[in-house]
Amino acid sequence: MKQQVILAGLASAALVALAAPAQAATETDSKNFGVQGNVPPLCVGGTVSAGTDTFDLGVLINTTSGLLRTDLSAPSKTLTGSFCSARSTIAVTATPIVAQTFTAAAPAGFSRSVDYTATASGWTPAAASFATASASNPAATQTRDTAFSGPITVGIGSFATTGGNTLRLVADTQYRGTVTITLTAVN
Amino acid sequence: MARDFALKLAAGLALAGSLTAPALAQSAQDAKSFPVVGNAPEVCALDQGRLRPGQLINFSGVDGDTLQILQLVDSQSLAARPASATLTFSAVCNFPHRVRIESANNGLWPTDGRQITQAPGFATALPYDASVQWGPITGALRTDAKVRRLVEERFSIDVPTAGDFQLSLKLEAGASNTQVNAPVLAGVYGDTLRIYLEPR
Repeated sequence: MKQQVILAGLASAALVALAAPAQAATETDSKNFGVQGNVPPLCVGGTVSAGTDTFDLGVLINTTSGLLRTDLSAPSKTLTGSFCSARSTIAVTATPIVAQTFTAAAPAGFSRSVDYTATASGWTPAAASFATASASNPAATQTRDTAFSGPITVGIGSFATTGGNTLRLVADTQYRGTVTITLTAVN
Repeated sequence: MARDFALKLAAGLALAGSLTAPALAQSAQDAKSFPVVGNAPEVCALDQGRLRPGQLINFSGVDGDTLQILQLVDSQSLAARPASATLTFSAVCNFPHRVRIESANNGLWPTDGRQITQAPGFATALPYDASVQWGPITGALRTDAKVRRLVEERFSIDVPTAGDFQLSLKLEAGASNTQVNAPVLAGVYGDTLRIYLEPR
């Protein structure tokens, strides 16, 4: 069956070839060629403007009491060159700031982890936010209905000792967590 | 003519392919990660001591950093009277550490610094015990008041510890550096006890 179709196609080509000399005989001729392409949904996260991509909180504790500092803060980061060529979502996720050397369970009265809230604003009317202490983070993903290009501001705050602020942090030269921002084009 | 057409078509396809290739290398999703870092230095802290209610015998209380014994000797026998007190200190060490408890005089000795050796039958210094309870450890420094010198005990704690550091002082009835119940030579007696929470 397939073979028959191909043969028919070839026959058509032969007809075109046979017709060509006839067309050359006219004064005017034209052919129309369709030109088409597509732009796939595309998202680019951009780059961090000015400085590094690391939120460096420095000393986490009050060195008199051993408790988490109440004035912890870090400057926001700005992603520039971000765009999505279609409707998109922005999602923020984060992991607690955890002691990297002290890996055993913290003794009574201590914690080896700090919770916080990470936010990404500028992309959607409502900022996407993720609290590491929360079991559910419904605001972590926000949707934008139109293509967009613009800066995204990423911030962290609302720090709290995991397990309660009466707990002290175990000594460790490196506590580490991660904030991840994801742009996704959606149909 | 037909051949030319075929070549142009091929070129057009090639051009389209080259234009779309970079776009295909991109993605409908992109993510950026930001490390969050900090540190917690080694810290030990020991607050002011407070007397434990109901644990005060023959002590007047805490005056600043001084514990005053109400009546050091029995007025009849002049032998040392029993005295005890327990203090608690809010404390924390956020790393494995050491407790060092130090008596400057190895007992209660005359505060004027005199060293009396010619007083047969009298006690010239008074031994006492200082016991500590801190996290998983219980220990004691026992002074004997035989020689006036600095004595100390050290205890290692393998885990970060927070809570109440408990110090108990105890002067036994009849305590003496000569013989039990020996009369105590007249004078003002004292010692300086120091507690250290420190790296091992």
